[in-house]
This record gives sequence, C-alpha cells and structure tokens, in this order.
Amino acid sequence: MTKITKLMATALAAGIFTVGAAQAADLSWMGYSYAEDSAKPSVDRIIDGFTTKTGLTVEPIGTAFGDMQKTMFLRARSKTLPDVAQISERWLPMFSTLPGLVDYNEVFGKDYLAQTYAPEALAMGQFNGKQYALPLMSGSIGMVANQAVLTQAGITELPKTVEEFKADLIKVRDTVPNSVPYAMATKNNSDILVDFLMWVYNFGGHVIEPSGKVVVDSDASRQALTFLVDLMNERLIAPEIGRPDARRLVGQSAAAFYLDAPQSRAFLRSFSGQDKAFDVNVKPMQVPVVHEGDEAVSIQWAHLIISFAQSNPPTEKDPNMQFVKYLGDDAVQTQFPVEQSALPGTISARANPVVADDAYLTAWAQNNAHPQVNEVGTWNNGGELTEILAEEVQAALLGQKTPDEAITSMSQRMAASMTKAGFAQ
Amino acid sequence: MTDLAPPGGRRLDYPVSPHARRGGLQAAQRRIGMLMLLPAATAFVLIILYPFAQALGLSMFEDTLQTIEPIFVGLDNFREVLSNPDTWQSFLLTAIYVGTATAGTLVLGLGWALILNQPFRGRGAIRALTLLPWVVPSTVSAFIWAWIFNSRFGVINGMLLELGLIDVPQAWLSTPEGAMVAVVLTRIWRSIPLFMAFFLAGLQNVDGEQLDAARVDGANNFAILRDHILPHLRPVLIVVVVLGVIGGLQDFDTIYALTGGGPVRATAVLSIEVYRKAFEQWDIGMASAIGVLWVVTLLPPAYFYLRLLVKGR
Repeated sequence: MTKITKLMATALAAGIFTVGAAQAADLSWMGYSYAEDSAKPSVDRIIDGFTTKTGLTVEPIGTAFGDMQKTMFLRARSKTLPDVAQISERWLPMFSTLPGLVDYNEVFGKDYLAQTYAPEALAMGQFNGKQYALPLMSGSIGMVANQAVLTQAGITELPKTVEEFKADLIKVRDTVPNSVPYAMATKNNSDILVDFLMWVYNFGGHVIEPSGKVVVDSDASRQALTFLVDLMNERLIAPEIGRPDARRLVGQSAAAFYLDAPQSRAFLRSFSGQDKAFDVNVKPMQVPVVHEGDEAVSIQWAHLIISFAQSNPPTEKDPNMQFVKYLGDDAVQTQFPVEQSALPGTISARANPVVADDAYLTAWAQNNAHPQVNEVGTWNNGGELTEILAEEVQAALLGQKTPDEAITSMSQRMAASMTKAGFAQ
Repeated sequence: MTDLAPPGGRRLDYPVSPHARRGGLQAAQRRIGMLMLLPAATAFVLIILYPFAQALGLSMFEDTLQTIEPIFVGLDNFREVLSNPDTWQSFLLTAIYVGTATAGTLVLGLGWALILNQPFRGRGAIRALTLLPWVVPSTVSAFIWAWIFNSRFGVINGMLLELGLIDVPQAWLSTPEGAMVAVVLTRIWRSIPLFMAFFLAGLQNVDGEQLDAARVDGANNFAILRDHILPHLRPVLIVVVVLGVIGGLQDFDTIYALTGGGPVRATAVLSIEVYRKAFEQWDIGMASAIGVLWVVTLLPPAYFYLRLLVKGR
C-alpha cells in the first residue's frame, strides 16, 4: 500500500469510528442554549448530571437561535430529527406537524404534569389538546430600564403612561449624548414583530384572533404605529437596531429602555462587562399604557422541550423521556433557569428560595402579570405573517408609508396569507 | 500471408496487432477522454444537476410546513410567482444590482489595471495587496462594509460628523437608495481584483511600440485608451462582463449579511427572495419556482460565456 492509500484508509477508519461514536450516545439534544457562550456551561452541567444519575449519554447539538427553525425543518426532511429539542414557545404550532412528535400526556400522564409544572407554563406547551412541549424555563417579554441612564437624565420615577414615557425619552435624548432613548427593534423581522405587538396590545388592539381572522386594521393599531413613527421622527428610537444591538446599547448605558425576555439580566451582565455589578441598573418595569390604570400587557415567552419518539409508543423508559423528566427535576430547574435569569417551569423550583428570594425575578413577575400570546408567530404561516408585519412597520418607521397606509396594507396582505392557509376572513 | 481484413470489415493494407481494440486510436482517445471526464461529470450530476432537477420538480408542488406530503400543483407556483408584483420588483432590483455593480467594477477595475500597468516602485506589493478584497470571505467583506455604513458607529458618519458636514448620524442602510448603494459598493470592492487581474493580463500583451508610435503621432492618453488599448482588450472586456453578470446574479451572501434584503424589500434580489421563501416562510415549492426563474435569468449570460470559451472569440 502506498503512503497515500494508507493515509486515506486511516482517515476513512477514523471517520467511521467518529460517526459510530457520535451515534453511540443514547439520545441527542438539539438546542440554542448550547450555542450561546453564556449558557453552554450550564447545559454541560445538565448533561453531566443526567449521565451521573442514569448512566445514559447525551449528544448535545448546538444551533443558533436564529437558525433553529431552519435546522429543524431541514432535519425533518432528511429524517435526522434529534431525540429532544429546545424550542421557543411561539414555534410550537409550526413544529406540531413534525413526524414522531411526542404527546407528553401519553407518556407521563396529565396528572403528573399538572402536579409538576406551573399551570401557565404548562399551557404554553399545549397545542390542539396535546401536550407537545414542556417548559424548560418561562416568563414573558417585558420592558427593562437602565437605572444609570435614568439617573443621568434626572428621571426619578419609571413612566407608567405612553405620555410619561415619551417625556422621559426626550429627557434622555437631551441629556445623554449619542444615546438611543428607547432601543426599539427596527430591523430583523422577528424582533420588529415582538416590539410592534407589544405596543398594539398596550394600545388595546389585536392582530389576529384565535379563529384566524385578521383584525389588525383598527384604531388601536393605527395609534400604536403612529406613536412609534412619532418616536422615530423625534429621534427617540433609531433605525438599524435589532435585539442584540439593543442589549449592547442598554448594557453600555447608551439606551434607557428596551423590550426583552427576563434573560435580559444575563445579557446585560455580559454586554456591560460588569457582570453582577451591573444588576443594580437592570429594572424590570411595566410597559407604559395609554391611560393610567390600564392593564399593562406583556408577551408570553418560554423555552420549551419537545421530543421525537424513540419507541412506538414512547414510554418513560426511553432515554429521551428519561432526559425530559430529568429536565423537570429540581436539580435542573433551580439551576439552569436561574442562571439564565428566567423563571423555572416547575412548581417546586419556583417555591425554592433560590428562585423565590431573587428580587429581580420577583420584580419581573410582578411587572409582567398579564402576558398575552404572540398572535402572529404561532400560526403555521407565521414566517410569512411576520415578514408582512415587519415590512409594513419598517415602511412606516422609515417614512415610506403613512401609518394608515401601512396598517391597511398589513391587514390586506395578512388576510390574504391567512385565507391561503385555510382561515376564512 | 495473414488476412488483414477484420471480421466483416474492409481489408487493411497494414498489419494490426491482435491486441488492438476495435475503433483504433481515436476511439481509444475518446474512451480515455470520457474516463477523465467522469469525476467532473459525476460531481456535476451530484452537486448541480440532481439538486436542480429536484428543485425543478419541487417547483410544481405545494410544499410547505402545512403540507405533510407535497401536493402536485403543476404550474400554479409559477403563475402565482409571476402574478406577484414582489417577484417583478425582485427582477428589477436584480437588474439594477447586477448592472450597476458590473459597470462600476468594469470602470474601476480597468482604471486600476491601467495604473498598476505603469512602472513604479512598489508596484508588485500593491498588485498583491489589491487581491485582498477577493481573498477575504464575502461575508467578512459584508460585515466590514456594514460597519463602515453603520448609523451609529460607522466610519462614514464619523468622518462626516468630524468634518461638520452632518449634525446627526445618518442611517445609510435605512433608505432604499442607501442600502442599494451599499450592496453595490461592496460587490464592486470585492470584484475589482478579479477584473483588474484579467485587464492586467490583457494589458501586458499590448504592443508598447504601437502605443509609442501613437504618442509620436500626437495621440493623447484618452485617444490611446480609446483607439488602441480598448480595442485590444475587447475579448477580455466581453469575458469579464459576462463573468461579472453571472457572479452578480448568483450573489447572495454579501447582500444577506449587509442588509438582509431590506430595508423593507429595497435589496431583495432574486437570491434573497428564494432564501426568504424557503427559510423564512418555509414554502419550498414557491422558493423552487423562483429559483427556477432565477436559473433562467442566468442561462443567457452563461450560454454566451460558454460560447466564447468554446469558439475562442
């Protein structure tokens, strides 16, 4: 054999061995937390704890949050779906058609799940009467203020109404040089969606009813978009800002307000470079409402766990079901969500002093007591709806359309998309 | 005497080895040629032809997240795509992008090649450095330009503010025109080295004595360029234009990394539209239909280029 032949044979053998080793794990877990530097060590600890407890091995597969849907979609086509996957709550309806998706009611029983998980967190994993997902951590998307910036601008009280909010934004603009007072998401479709939805809800409007009827063409939506366009014209929000940019701006005290999940604290620790010393500046607050006394609304948010059957029918003994059950264990629920600055999904973990005594998490829960479902992302055609909404909002913010034209066009395009998806308008 | 006639064939006047294969030398050469073509042909079939055939097939199916099994819809996807104004806007944007980027690269690449064709100290080093934008991965180039155009921390805003030409930072990438200019400039910056290399190779074959004679006859620089250099570079010009058009039509990563096709749809060229349909709206059937139309737009320049290669002119 020539040297080259030997080398190729060795490489081939090594390749086969590697593939064999990868497939030797008892289950695979694909998630976006494993792709985030700040969360990866926590995920590793979960896997180590599970292996120590059960002797079963886990192959972790990290995929960036933004690529998660695409990766799952492609894996479904190539029949290489993972055994367990971490998803955002708004993707559940989209993934509900994937083959082999486990209904946890059939495996663990409804009673066990009801006794273990907090009701509103458990509800986020239900679709069409099935329990397709369980919460890894939960919470809501709400508003966060940077106390250091507020102090610099001479703001002593958090704003409660949109009028107060705008007045405070002007103070920040005029006193904090080169700042973006409210780091609203004005790029990236999925980011724009969340910010716009939040304001539509808090102006008293809705986008799509549970029946599938598009109802965004309303006075409330017009007022919300007009308010945002006004903020843009006054340079109180800025173009070209996505959620990661907003986190950086707030972490660097160049922005006073932004919308995020409770993980905000973990992101701001990182982006400020001050770690936990920055916590004093992270203030969860209610999203400003139109009239004082109105109920402030936030948006439901959770990281959920879905699984694909390893046996037919799936049983509790399957390695992936053992892993899912372990993810609901206090060992995980009092560690991972708290490290990510989010609420655990289980009742017992929420009662644990580690969680109950966390002032930030308590404040978050108090300020975001009325989360509403994401009315756009939860439909099977959510991708198209999100693009339509974001394009129209962006067109209004950038002055290409009036708010009235943008809402009218948004409504017509969304209605057409929903009609095509089989929902009568 | 041995019978030289092959079985059933005409009689030969020269001896033929009993080991000789039927068909003679030309056939053997053809067989070797086919054999050597096999790896490239296999790769072409596996990597290009099969996926394209699959996309062509998928373009006739309704294939979304909602359809568990794809549903055959014939040419419905094409009808819907072609009746959608967004598709025609994408064609128009693609034409603007490809046209301006190719023309810009042509002018600047030629100009730079003319400069680098002059003898001066450090010419070799500058020639080598000129290749950098071509070597840098396209996504990295896009991020560099995104930083240059950034509305808050961008170099352009920084310079203009410093010079007092603007009072507040401008969001260059947030206007349709600004975004298109940015993606075109990035494309030009990336493509100049390739065009320049072609032109430089062509310029080195220009007869220096002919140019000297023209100067002696009183021709100025522009006349020399127009009457002597450009006619000489004509074959190179045609090749680089065709290659530039093909490269521009294929471009995706630069635009996606820089603007994502926005703002709104200002830079949503065909490649971006295919990606959005496939991986943001999960509509594989529609994405395939747009992809097929995209390939159709690529065929004329590709055919023209291949014809040039085969015919050598």
